[in-house]
Amino acid sequence: MATRDWLGLKQDLPPRRNAVLTILSFVLPFALWAVVSYTPWIWHPLVRITDSGESEWMTEDMDVQRADFAKEVEKTKAAGVAPPQGYRVNPVYLPAPHNVAKAFVTAFKTPPRLPGEPWLHESLGHSIRTIVWGFLLSSLIGVPLGILCGTYRFFSKLQEPFVEFFRYLPAPAFGALCVAVLGIDDAPKVAIIVIGTFFQQVLVIGNTVRKVDPALIEAAQTLGARGWNLVRRVVIPAAITDIYTDMRILLGWAWTYLIVAEVVGTMSGITYFINQQARYRNFDNVYAAIFMIGIIGLSSDILLAAFGRVLFPWKRRLARGKSLIEWMREPGSAWRKEPPNPRAMAALAKA
Amino acid sequence: MLALPDYREQSPEVAARFSKINERPVLLSVRELEKAFGTNGSRHVVFDHVSVDIRRREFVTIIGPSGCGKSTFIRIAAGLDEATSGEMLLDGKPITGPSPDRGMVFQGYTLFPWRTVKENVMFGLEMRGKDSGTADAEARQWLDMVGLSRVENSYPHELSGGMKQRVAIARALANEPRILIMDEPFGALDALTRCKMQSYLLQIWKKVNVTILFITHDLDEAVYLSDRILVLGVNPGGVREIIENPVPRPRSVDQFLSPEFLAVKHRLDELIHAPSAEQEEDKIPVIKLTEVGDEVE
Repeated sequence: MATRDWLGLKQDLPPRRNAVLTILSFVLPFALWAVVSYTPWIWHPLVRITDSGESEWMTEDMDVQRADFAKEVEKTKAAGVAPPQGYRVNPVYLPAPHNVAKAFVTAFKTPPRLPGEPWLHESLGHSIRTIVWGFLLSSLIGVPLGILCGTYRFFSKLQEPFVEFFRYLPAPAFGALCVAVLGIDDAPKVAIIVIGTFFQQVLVIGNTVRKVDPALIEAAQTLGARGWNLVRRVVIPAAITDIYTDMRILLGWAWTYLIVAEVVGTMSGITYFINQQARYRNFDNVYAAIFMIGIIGLSSDILLAAFGRVLFPWKRRLARGKSLIEWMREPGSAWRKEPPNPRAMAALAKA
Repeated sequence: MLALPDYREQSPEVAARFSKINERPVLLSVRELEKAFGTNGSRHVVFDHVSVDIRRREFVTIIGPSGCGKSTFIRIAAGLDEATSGEMLLDGKPITGPSPDRGMVFQGYTLFPWRTVKENVMFGLEMRGKDSGTADAEARQWLDMVGLSRVENSYPHELSGGMKQRVAIARALANEPRILIMDEPFGALDALTRCKMQSYLLQIWKKVNVTILFITHDLDEAVYLSDRILVLGVNPGGVREIIENPVPRPRSVDQFLSPEFLAVKHRLDELIHAPSAEQEEDKIPVIKLTEVGDEVE
């Protein structure tokens, strides 16, 4: 196989190669992690003591720096007493993949340590609720305003300069203010997500709507459409698929604001869970929780992409290369069984 | 070079047809139309003193080199652009903006991608407040006429260029416009499809009570389709000539090599490709290549 076929400049790859590369994109980082975790002579900067020997300060199950361990071995040998024994390990903050994989199950089963603390699924539910509320509230105003800005110069000039300024103000900076105004419960968290999402949303959607082909609007005008009908029947439908894609990207950004939002006021949701587990030094649970955010994000995006196909039948592909399921469903993809051509079947039957 | 007849010579039938057309009322009247860009300092006049009367059920083509403002001219007619001075009257009333009584077909199809073929045709009907049942039935009739009933539920991206343009024509005609304005409608099509579409358009025009104002830069297309051909020029911009096409109707592709067809085409060629003063000046400098092995001429 020539490299040229794999590295063609801006050339589409055959579906099978796309599949291979997509799988590799996940496999490679995990393989790297596995190599560091399971090969004792790669990294592993610590030694776990199995037998303290005659060492004065080492105890069993203690992790010590390799240099300190070597020094101690020499010291005990020089003194003619039993040296300590141990094997090389990685720091506790880098658990091996199988431990994290186990944590995916055990984290849900482990009851909280303190009474009144949420279970993992409750923490996750809390986070998702916060995101959904924040994103909905932001969209409720942001989407119509974005459409107005994209359609009418009047709104664009009236809103966008200020919005442009405001979006540079980091949402977390409003944390203290939100707590002062909205209390310590969920309201300030939702507010942070709204602040983080809203201003980007207005600008991004405004831009998308501005990109609507003016020829479509002119065509509609010559067909008798004017005023509000022009917006409702032409501008919005023409932009809606791109707005939908924008919304999916914005939802991804909202997730990044979640972690900030959850430390505002009383810490809550998945951030609280991660913090507690880190405090207990259950790093396998910490990784599992972080990965869960990724999995929820990616799968919600895939679901939304699939839903987009149902909503917008005139768009065969919503956003090229946006997510897994899209190229999986593309015609000719290795994942998709093409239905037999009915005309060809009829011809065959006749013959 | 063939000896061609004078392009102004008309057979008795053609002459009779033109005198009949000239008895019809004026539909679109263009008076001293001027379009210019910029202010007095650096004013660029695209065209000025354009006057023409287009009569009912006439097929008028505007032709000219690029930059002559033919697109601007019909954008003004469609109400999408404004003239600097002069006026255009439709049925005696000045044109002030886009309206469904002037249907428009664009080169870029401009079908609504989110609507099916039938829904595209229904668009204008809905805008005029027809209920969906009536709009649906009328849209079907128009699709029938352009021969696209079988794809009525397809989306535009599933159609070929020629089919898309037929939908666009049906969509414009569904509004029953007084005049159908077509801006290089077949410019993006391949030569074969284009030829078919031209014959198609003539058939539709015969069946539908509409006047057509057509833009092209294709000489054959202009001669094949039109009653009158308005030739625009550049530097200075404006009307070079309005030709009464002597090719008799009904038209067919066999006429492409008839003497009168070639005579008109030859005249158009003279008018459009006549070297203007400016073009003479900036001739492309030819770099002499030292080793051109095989001469081509």
